[in-house]
Amino acid sequence: MNQFVLQQGKSAELLLFPHILETGMKKNGALQLNTFPTTVTNGLRIYCITDGRFEWRINHQPHIFYPGDVALILPGTPLGCDNDVLGIGSFTWIQLAVQKLDNGHIQPGKWSGLSDSEAAAIGKILILNSLPVLSGFSEAGKILKCIHTELFGMEVAYQARVNYQIAELLIQLTRKMTRQTHSTRDFPKTFMHLEAVLRQDLAHQWTVEEMAAVVGMGTTLFTEKVKSYSGFSPINYLINIRISEAIKLLKRPDISVTDIALDTGFYSSQHFSTTFKKLTGYRPSEFRKNHLRNT
Amino acid sequence: MRVFAYDLSGVVIGSMKGYYPTFHTGPDYSEQDPEQIFITTLYVLKNILNEHIHVKKYKVASICFCAAMHSVLAVDKNGNPIGNAITWADNRAKKEAQELRNSPLGKKLYEATGTPIHPMSPLLKIAWIRNYDKERFKQTSKFLSIKSYIVHQLTGEYMVDYSIASATGLLNIHNRTWEDDALKYAGITASRLPELAPVFTAAGKLKKAYQQSLRLSAETKILIGSSDGCMATLGDGVKGEGKATITIEDSGAVRVMGSAVLKDEQMRFFNYLLTDNCYVSGGPTNNGGNIFEWFTRQFGDFTSPYDTGNSIQLLMEEASKVPLGSDGLLFLPYLLGERAPIWNANARGAYFGLNIKHERAHFIRATIEGILYEIYSIGKILGEQRSIKSLSVNGSFGVIPFCTGMIADMFNKPVRVRQQFHSVSFGTYLLSATEMGIYKSLDEAAQTVELPNVFKPNKQHHAIYADYFSIFEKLSTKLFAEFEAIGNLQEKYAVTDPSLKK
Repeated sequence: MNQFVLQQGKSAELLLFPHILETGMKKNGALQLNTFPTTVTNGLRIYCITDGRFEWRINHQPHIFYPGDVALILPGTPLGCDNDVLGIGSFTWIQLAVQKLDNGHIQPGKWSGLSDSEAAAIGKILILNSLPVLSGFSEAGKILKCIHTELFGMEVAYQARVNYQIAELLIQLTRKMTRQTHSTRDFPKTFMHLEAVLRQDLAHQWTVEEMAAVVGMGTTLFTEKVKSYSGFSPINYLINIRISEAIKLLKRPDISVTDIALDTGFYSSQHFSTTFKKLTGYRPSEFRKNHLRNT
Repeated sequence: MRVFAYDLSGVVIGSMKGYYPTFHTGPDYSEQDPEQIFITTLYVLKNILNEHIHVKKYKVASICFCAAMHSVLAVDKNGNPIGNAITWADNRAKKEAQELRNSPLGKKLYEATGTPIHPMSPLLKIAWIRNYDKERFKQTSKFLSIKSYIVHQLTGEYMVDYSIASATGLLNIHNRTWEDDALKYAGITASRLPELAPVFTAAGKLKKAYQQSLRLSAETKILIGSSDGCMATLGDGVKGEGKATITIEDSGAVRVMGSAVLKDEQMRFFNYLLTDNCYVSGGPTNNGGNIFEWFTRQFGDFTSPYDTGNSIQLLMEEASKVPLGSDGLLFLPYLLGERAPIWNANARGAYFGLNIKHERAHFIRATIEGILYEIYSIGKILGEQRSIKSLSVNGSFGVIPFCTGMIADMFNKPVRVRQQFHSVSFGTYLLSATEMGIYKSLDEAAQTVELPNVFKPNKQHHAIYADYFSIFEKLSTKLFAEFEAIGNLQEKYAVTDPSLKK
C-alpha cells in the first residue's frame, strides 16, 4: 500500500465514520527539516511503527520507537520530535474522537458497541496508566491495516466491520497496557498498585470490573485473589479504605460531613452514616464530637 | 492481621484475616495507617463474631491482643494520630543506630534494655522524630505502639504490656521500669509513654458503642497480651531447659525462653520480657521466606497468574533431586541486609563456588540451604550459652517439610512441628487461658503443648552440611568491606527517574 492520509471533512471515505478524525500511512525515506512539527489534538492518537526507527517526544519526554511498537497519545498531549525531523521508516496511525466527560475522563463514543461500563473502564485505564509506549505490539498494526483495507474496499457491511475493528484495537490496547505494567508473578506488588490507584480517586464509583482492569485481570480471578490475599472482597476492601480516610477527615474540623462522604466515595451522607455506624459503632457526627472534644 | 477464636479447651472455632498496606514513602521508610489498622481490626472482629460466635451461641470471655514489636505511633493530647505508625521494618534511623551501637552508651543501653541497638528500635525512632520531625515531636502527647493505640480506641486506656515495652529499647528489663538513660537519649520523659502493665492485664471496659456494634457484653475482658515473638515461643511450649524454637515466615528468628538473660559482648541477641523472671531471648534474621519468594518470582514457572504457592512447590521438587550441599554451591541470603548474627545492614546476597557442572536446580537448592544456614548460624551462637536438645519450627516457610527436614539435619537435632493452627495464636490462647485460671501458670500451660510430628536428623547429612557451613560462616563476615563498597555503588548509580529505566 502506498502512503495516504484520510481526514474528516475532506475525505469521502470517512463520511460514515465521524469518530475517525484522521487515519493514514506514512513512509519516510529521508531526513528533512520541519516535516513533523509538534502537535496537540483533541483526539486519541495511535501510531503503529512498521519499519525503521523514530525518536519522538510525547509530552516532552523522549521515546524511541522500533517496528512493532505503538505510541499512544492522549487528547491534549503534545507529540513531536527534536528539530521537527521525522526519522526514517514507516508507520500507520489513526486519530479517534473520544467523549470528554466532566470529571476529565475520556470514553469511546456510542459507535463502539462497547457497553457503557466497558467504555468507562477503558477510558479510565487509558488515563490511569498513561503509558505512551507499548512495545512488541504488532497486533495493533495488523488491526489498523485491516481498517484501511475495509475503508478502501467498501465491501458489504464494511461500516460495521470498521467500527468493530476500532473497538477491537481499543480493547487490545487496554489489555496490553495493563499487562505491560504488571508482572503476573508478584501479587503483593500488584495489590499495592491497585491500592494506590484507589486512594488517588476514592470519590470515583469504582466497579469490580474497573478495579480488575486496573491490574490487567479478569474479574473472577481478581475477586478470588483479592479475597485470599486481603481477607476482603474487592468492594469491602474499598469500603475499608474509604472509612479509614473518612476517620482522618472527621478529625479535622474544617470539612463538612457531607463533603467527607462525597470525597471518600459514598453517594450520600445517609449512605456514609449507615456504613460508618455499622463498622465503627458511631455515627460520623458523634465520632467527630468525641474526637474534637478537647480542642 | 488475624483473629482466631478459641474455645476454653484450646480448639479453634474459626479464624479470619484482614490486610492493610505498608507504605514505603521514602527509602528506608515503612509505615502503616493506624486508622486503617483499627477499621480492619473492627471489621474482621465483627465478621468472625457474626459468622462463628454469635450464631453458635458462644459467649466471649476475653479478647487478647498480640502484635508485632518495635512500632511507634505518635498521638496528640486527644489521642489522635500524628502521621502514620512507623513499623519494625523502618530503617530511617540507620545512621544514628550505627553511631549509638559503636558508643559506650549503646553498650550500656543494650545491657539495660535487652533490645539490640538497631533502627528497628523505638528508642531510635523517637530520637529520629525529635531530630528531624520537630513539629510532630512537639505535638506528641504520647508515643504508643500500634497495639496500645488499638486498645486505647476500644477502651480509652493507654497501656503497654511488658513484652512490647521490652522491645522498645526504653525499658530496663532487669527492674522493669523505663530506663533513664534511654529516655534521655530519646529526649522524652516517662509521661509521654503509655502505662506499663503485665501481659495478663485487662485494659478497662470495651466502650459502649463497640459493645453494641460487636454485640459483646460489658464484662468481656480486653487483655493487653504480648508480642508475636514471645507468643510464638510460648505457643510451641518452649518454656524450660533444652528447648528452642525457630520461626521462619518472611523474616525469621531463633528463640529460647528462660529465667536469665543472654549476655553478649557483640550485642547479637535480644532479651524480651514475657512475665516476671521469664525472658524470651534469641536472634532475628531479615532473610527468610521472603528471599525464596523473590527467587520464585524471578526463576519459578508460573502455570497460572500469581500462583506463587504452586510455583514454590515445583521448585522444591526440583531442588530435592539435587544432592544435599548442592554440589558445593553456596548462597548468602543477605538481600535485605542482615540482623543476627552479623548485624550488618550493608550485607548483600551472593552465590559462591559455582562450577561448570552446576545447573538451574542447584541454584534452587542452594538458595534454600543458604536461608537455613543463616538460621543455623543464629542457633549455633545461641547454643554457646544454652544447651539446646530439641527444636520446634513454625512459620509458613519453616514448616514446608523439605525445609523442616533440612533444619533437623543442619542442627543435628530432632525437630517438632505444629501441624494445626498457628503458634502465635496458640501462645495467645495459652496466655488467656492462664489468666482465666485454666492453667496455674504459663509454665504449666507450656507443658501441655504437644507437637507430635518429629523430623529426625541424619548424621551423615549433618556432616555434609557442617562442612559447607564452615565456609558459609567465614564468607558471611569476610566480605565486610566489599558489601559496603557494592552497597555504595548501588546507591550511587541507582536510577530514580522511572522514565530512564530500560
